[in-house]
Amino acid sequence: MPPTPRNRGLAVLPIVLGIAGVVALAILPKFVESPYALQMMVLFFLAVIQGEAWNLIGGYGGQYSVGHAAYFGIGAYTVIVLLQSRGIAPWWGLFPALLLAVLVAAIVGSITFRLRGPYFVLASIAVAEIFRLAALNWKQLTNGAEGILLSGIPPLVIAGVQITDFSSKVPFYYMGLALAVVTVLVTIWFQGSKLGYYLQAIREDQDAANSLGIPLTFYKNVALMISAFFTAFAGALYGLYVGFIDPQTAVGLDISVQIVLTAIIGGIGTILGPVIGAALLVALSEALRSNALTDLLVGIGIVNPASTIGQFLRDNLSHAHMLIYGVLVALTILYMPDGVLGGIKNQIRKRRARAAAGGAA
Amino acid sequence: MTTVPTEPILEIKSVSKHFGGLAANSDVSFTMDEGMILGLIGPNGAGKTTLFNCITGYYPPTKGEILFKGGRLNGMTPDQVCKLGMVRTWQKVRPLAKLTVLDNVVVGALVRTGSVKEAREIAREQLHVVKMAHKADFLAGGLPIGERKKLEVARVLATKPDLLLLDEVMGGLNPAESEDIIQLILDIKKRGLTQMVIEHDMKAIMRISDRIVVLNSGEKLAEGAPQEVVSNPEVVTAYLGEAHV
Amino acid sequence: MTIFLQSLLSGVLIGGAYALIGVGLTIIFGVMRIINFAHGDLVMLGMYASYFLFTLGNVDPFVSIVFVFPLLFLFGAILQKTVINKVLNALPQNQILLTIGIGLILSNTMMLLFTSDYRIISTSYSSGSFRLGEISVSTPLLLSFVITAAVTAILYWFLLKTDTGQAIRATAQDRDAAQLMGVNVKRMSVLATGIGAGLAAVAGSLISPTYYIFPQVGQPFTLKAFVIVVLGGMGSVMGATVGGVLIGATESLAGAYISSGLKDLVVYVLFLLILLFKPAGLFGKSRV
Repeated sequence: MPPTPRNRGLAVLPIVLGIAGVVALAILPKFVESPYALQMMVLFFLAVIQGEAWNLIGGYGGQYSVGHAAYFGIGAYTVIVLLQSRGIAPWWGLFPALLLAVLVAAIVGSITFRLRGPYFVLASIAVAEIFRLAALNWKQLTNGAEGILLSGIPPLVIAGVQITDFSSKVPFYYMGLALAVVTVLVTIWFQGSKLGYYLQAIREDQDAANSLGIPLTFYKNVALMISAFFTAFAGALYGLYVGFIDPQTAVGLDISVQIVLTAIIGGIGTILGPVIGAALLVALSEALRSNALTDLLVGIGIVNPASTIGQFLRDNLSHAHMLIYGVLVALTILYMPDGVLGGIKNQIRKRRARAAAGGAA
Repeated sequence: MTTVPTEPILEIKSVSKHFGGLAANSDVSFTMDEGMILGLIGPNGAGKTTLFNCITGYYPPTKGEILFKGGRLNGMTPDQVCKLGMVRTWQKVRPLAKLTVLDNVVVGALVRTGSVKEAREIAREQLHVVKMAHKADFLAGGLPIGERKKLEVARVLATKPDLLLLDEVMGGLNPAESEDIIQLILDIKKRGLTQMVIEHDMKAIMRISDRIVVLNSGEKLAEGAPQEVVSNPEVVTAYLGEAHV
Repeated sequence: MTIFLQSLLSGVLIGGAYALIGVGLTIIFGVMRIINFAHGDLVMLGMYASYFLFTLGNVDPFVSIVFVFPLLFLFGAILQKTVINKVLNALPQNQILLTIGIGLILSNTMMLLFTSDYRIISTSYSSGSFRLGEISVSTPLLLSFVITAAVTAILYWFLLKTDTGQAIRATAQDRDAAQLMGVNVKRMSVLATGIGAGLAAVAGSLISPTYYIFPQVGQPFTLKAFVIVVLGGMGSVMGATVGGVLIGATESLAGAYISSGLKDLVVYVLFLLILLFKPAGLFGKSRV
């Protein structure tokens, strides 16, 4: 078994690369004006926020919540309902939205964290379904299955100066970027903190963790509350950005699955895993939606566009992203349970072990 | 009978634990004085690990009372017990497999400090004590059994306990590794810590224990100095006869 | 009182089909300790199979079960051999994610192939009913309940009286011990998944005359099946049978007395309460 060196603190290179990356992303809208590209980036940021948020409790803590749509939906619905029916500006509506999500997380956690393994997963799904059904049936508040179409966001004015009127995608781009950076920074802090150590201990072995003085439910709850906070924030941003929410797209099981998938595809319990997962998933679903994948298959000559298959792909692949997600979940679990990052790490470890064995022989 | 004027660190008062109709422990009582090593022996299924679980808060005892430093432990959870200064190891070792050796110990140390930096220093010291400093950056899941056992000990030491409960820390080890552990236990004793040790290796237990309690079918069969206990005919038939030691 | 009896009766009748779904899930769980999250989608496949047998072959949905069961049995068995078998020793949460993935694949493949249009099977008796005093009894529901009872009886006979059935039960009780006693547990896993899938699909066929048929119809059944299985005690066939009828009745009563939109919500709340206060189920021994 070769040693696995861990960079204590942060090495200089990742810091420099990270800052350079963020700066590049920050000035990107100055050069790229295509709304399409900005749209992609906003979706990417939203996915990063959700993936990192889930990662705290699911990846580090091993508590696989398949019900994070509940918090996403609370964020989206609270902000949108307050704005649409009470005229409360979203930057004020955010406070009750995030508070509510954290409060619900505390209650849900206190109840469901007594359960372990599959029972916890089932309970998390049931909780999210309860919220979805509530959104579907509480029609006076949520407009039921028809959803809420946002009629507009008031311009943001600070000290008499109009910052933005939200007429382009740029303000959403910067909000998404800022929040994504914050969630990554929170994850970096979390990984090196007592909280992060305790959650990882809980993931590895709950009984052992308990015997070492860790109150299990308390620490799981704290992590879930932080996770719910950012998930709800992402939900609110999503609702404002898209301008429309309904129970299926804001609280549906598909949302929960996408969130989990973002984290596990990249590699759970790592800082960069959800970023990689978000990039892959957003790129893939966009490639499907825009038929780029079909074009690619046609372009490299695998599929004849005139054939029945070519026609079928063109007609259908754009609706197939949930199918592809299903395939991805299955493939990841079967062949890459540690995700892309984990898979790479395992390969490096194996190679080192082989080299060490070779050196010894 | 050693008569020490100070109050005992641990008092087990008529503890019973029933699972359904099955009595895993019935009416077990003994006390431990500070600084001593108490050997807890008995054939398989005698209820030793169950007693550990009762003492450390994993099971509530069905009857009886457990006092640690004079305070009642009944109803406390394992983490509360640990914070009070009593911690146990596991018969089947439970390393936090995907964490490094150092981080395993850091987790233990964090019960006494909120600072990860400080916890890391404590952890390094404890790895030194068990002579595993050179393995600090290895993944715990990949260690051989002997080192896993030592890691368990380092991890519980890092919680700065007053009383250690060691559940078969020599189980599955070769003679050299066992000798290491014996030296380690004696070192820990020198530092003033109290220890309760479950062990099957009679030679080892005779060497390290100040007192021995023998459990059989969940009941206390005998208690006394090591020599007294091994010459007790009841113990010989119930336990030693069976184990051929 | 009439409303009460009326809802209770419809609940119990639909509960028969729920029981079959739950029994399928519990058999799969019992033998492999895997929670099949694609279970509702197997119900959906059964509904579609009956739909096409009806529209293309003019086969009555109640008769179609003699084709649907073997078809989905085979499907389940192949699924076990090629995919599920690979994660038998994985973390439970990974097993769940895998079956969630399978469920997504099934429902979305059906959507691609047959669009998300709602389909219905209109038989001569689809909306038929007769009166029993003041209560009206739906003909298709009653028929489906009778067939459910018969299928359940055959299943019990199979599990209790045949060698294979006993081997499945032994595997469910203690996989290692069964293996030591010479039971081919791998074969039992394949069989159990086949039977579980077959039962779910049969339930789908039986309710197909009274439900809209569309690709996403399965999801609520998956969750309901869990509620049923947890209620009856994970792995207990008897428990799932009773649990199915109980949930059917609860749902129907909640629909009548609270609101039809909230009946599922009531069921999920009940589910959480059971998980918390009676995790081993109403009839099970404590395990969690």
